[in-house]
Amino acid sequence: MSTLHKEMRTISRRDFLKATGLATGGLFIGVSLPMGVLGSAGSTGFEPGAFIHIAANGDTTLYCGRCEMGQGISTALPAAVADELEADWTRVTVLQGDADKKYGPQSTGGSQSINQMLEPMRKAGAAGREMLIAAAAQTWNVPPGKCHAKSHVVYNRVDERSLPYGELVALASTLPVPSDPVLKTRDQFQYIGKSIQRHDQQDMVVGRRIYGADKKVPGLKYAAIRHVPVLGATVKSVDRSAVEGMQGVVDVVVIPRFENPYGSVGGVAVVADNTWTATEALAKLKIEFEMGKNASYDTDAYKKQLVSNVEAPAKIEFEKGSLDQAFAEAKVRHKATYVGGHISHSPIEPMASLAWVQQDKCEIWASTQDPESIQKTVGAYLGREAEQIVVHVMAAGGAFGRKHMCDYVQEAAALSKAVGAPVQLTWSREEDTRTGYYHSCSAQHIEASVDAGGKLTGWLHRAAFPPIASLFNPAAEQPSADDLGAVSKHPYGIGNMRVESGLAPAHTRIGWFRSVYHVFWGFAINAFTDELAHEAGVDSLQFFRNIYDSNNDAEQAEQVKRSRAVLDKAAEMAGWGKQLPANHGMGIAVHHSFASYAAMVVHVEVVGKAIRVHRVDCAVDCGLVLNPDIATAQMEGAVVMGMSLALHPEISLKNGAVVNSNFHDYPLLTISEAPSVINVEFIGQDYRSTGIGEPGVPTLAPALANAIFAASGKRCRSLPIELV
Amino acid sequence: MSHTLHVNGQQHTTDVDGAMPLLWFLRDTLELTGTKYGCGMGLCGACIVHLDGEAVQSCLVTLSEADGKKVTTIEGLSEDGSHPLQIAWLHNNVSQCGYCQPGQIMKAADLLRQNPAPSVGDIDAAMEGNLCRCGTYLRVRKAIADAAGQMNGGAK
Repeated sequence: MSTLHKEMRTISRRDFLKATGLATGGLFIGVSLPMGVLGSAGSTGFEPGAFIHIAANGDTTLYCGRCEMGQGISTALPAAVADELEADWTRVTVLQGDADKKYGPQSTGGSQSINQMLEPMRKAGAAGREMLIAAAAQTWNVPPGKCHAKSHVVYNRVDERSLPYGELVALASTLPVPSDPVLKTRDQFQYIGKSIQRHDQQDMVVGRRIYGADKKVPGLKYAAIRHVPVLGATVKSVDRSAVEGMQGVVDVVVIPRFENPYGSVGGVAVVADNTWTATEALAKLKIEFEMGKNASYDTDAYKKQLVSNVEAPAKIEFEKGSLDQAFAEAKVRHKATYVGGHISHSPIEPMASLAWVQQDKCEIWASTQDPESIQKTVGAYLGREAEQIVVHVMAAGGAFGRKHMCDYVQEAAALSKAVGAPVQLTWSREEDTRTGYYHSCSAQHIEASVDAGGKLTGWLHRAAFPPIASLFNPAAEQPSADDLGAVSKHPYGIGNMRVESGLAPAHTRIGWFRSVYHVFWGFAINAFTDELAHEAGVDSLQFFRNIYDSNNDAEQAEQVKRSRAVLDKAAEMAGWGKQLPANHGMGIAVHHSFASYAAMVVHVEVVGKAIRVHRVDCAVDCGLVLNPDIATAQMEGAVVMGMSLALHPEISLKNGAVVNSNFHDYPLLTISEAPSVINVEFIGQDYRSTGIGEPGVPTLAPALANAIFAASGKRCRSLPIELV
Repeated sequence: MSHTLHVNGQQHTTDVDGAMPLLWFLRDTLELTGTKYGCGMGLCGACIVHLDGEAVQSCLVTLSEADGKKVTTIEGLSEDGSHPLQIAWLHNNVSQCGYCQPGQIMKAADLLRQNPAPSVGDIDAAMEGNLCRCGTYLRVRKAIADAAGQMNGGAK
């Protein structure tokens, strides 16, 4: 990820725990969390964190500070807390926490929630368990070691007496909090590692789950918006005559661009009694725009320029060994250039938010991945302190990185401020498609050498893509050394290497799309490796194995081992090497990202230009899996998203504006295109838990491209894939 | 001109403009938000409801067209979430973000009404217009097949 979203490192493991007895007779247990660097590079420190609440009747509420967008975090994390707490899951209610520092960092992305939060949250649960045990021991006047907790009850081993949690809450909350509570061992887990049902499934199937777009408050007005079509364009004039006196229209509001990375690009909105009236009125307005300096942006031409920029020497960001020597001594030399287009997140729930700005209060209800950024951005817009912005975190109807940015929330706040009423702003699909923070388009050129012994000896990698850093710093016009880390630190561990950065100034907003740069790293590196294997006359799986087996760098030993293990597992699951019918082929890919490892084998059938994916076998190592069913669903979703970006059109811009508009010209993968079978297996469960939301996506497209080659002899070097 | 609709067994008479899509009447006027907006062009299926028992994209049906008809939304598919599809959805943990799932379930209910024992091909053909960005398609297939088995009196 970018410099701002680089893999989060735990600054310190010095968690502290804090308990608060409440007047209502409950027990609150908080946990301090190491602050990550997500969204606030360089900042470290400790804040009070997430809370467990046990009521006097034993009913237990677990607050989830991280945002739920379908990835299941609001089940997986609380279930881990409940496990350590020895809580009875049927007594647990999970609530989504509002924006609040007490929950620790709430920005939800980079597959970091489990990686960062699991241990401190388990400790909070364990501390609670130890305090309840201590309270029981004190009541019975026995040593705590003579007591144990199970499923909301503490038992006395001496005389078989027992006390339910509810009866211990008052005393427990007066006791000191253990500074280093003992965590359970794997054989003691009740919920960790079990596929307990997500807490929100029932509401979803009866239509009761309330997303950002669904929130209602008394006196609510509804808004529709049309944005400037080009980044940096302004609204020159608005002819409102057609909507004057129109029934139900409250106001027409011009929203200027808010110069903030997460602020509105600017546009014109109509506030009305309902969304339909607002939409109808908006369509009647005659709006003129001043297009500005990005009005010549054309993605077809731009991608050609990126290709030129990587097919010539570029800025050297990393070098080791002697590439010249490796190339001179090569038995096989090969080069190829890979290109990728912009991608839109396109969650089915478009950007939507409710804001109510009053003199002394500002309240927001939003589908979001980052309530803290809403506080900061809306606070900056209104000239108020971030803490004064109350943000209710609503369920997100899909997010995939887009809802990190809160331009739609700031716009709702601008509208609420303008009309003096609560306003629900729902973007149309067209606005959602055309006003994104897109996945970078990219070009990568790779040249490599294989020696007489079949060993990969040299690797030149040039990449050009508009970096996400351009959102924050207009001078960021090409990938940084850090951005290129996935190549320079790749567990291939090639001895002779040069990594170069090509020029790629941004002309539209670039954002974090699920798996971020790993989408194109995974594609190019794996597709090129398959090409090299073919050039060297070695079976692709064997060639991958040889590369990893040749890496003797002790610092990469674990990465090599785990990469190799998922590779072998996926191959075994798929029956790699078995005889396939004509026009069928298998392709394999393996990629390490977001601290996890994934390998996929795609089985495809190619007839003419028609591509049919029959089956995908996925092997994943994300350490100990908290909830296998949720993790499996994440991998199934990664396959579908990977297929969608590989097989369906990219986001194209002409004259600075997005050409696509809705699902007819930006189609997503449909059910009939989905594979018949997706197999998922998890290995490496002795390692600590890491993320699963993103690591699956990068392997699908290259495994598919390699399978298409196996089936048809055609090489695919672009995303989306174009068969000619 | 007023319109009268029967929504989930309740009669509603309204003076709002008959050109308003049923979707927005349900969401903004009746505040039945289980029916979702996704595209406004009948391309995603998130807004599917039953109109006199048949699945329709409520973003494409006007209030005038729904006048006098029976509308069933996800909130009215069953009294208590006990429709075999809802149970099968839970059993298979189909939902990820869940936003498209009311539309998926309403469409699937219409499929099973017309075809109590659909093949995988039948399911794919019927559900082709219901998009899911989270990628729950394999579980949608499985849940529909499970519900069909249940409704036919012998879940395998």
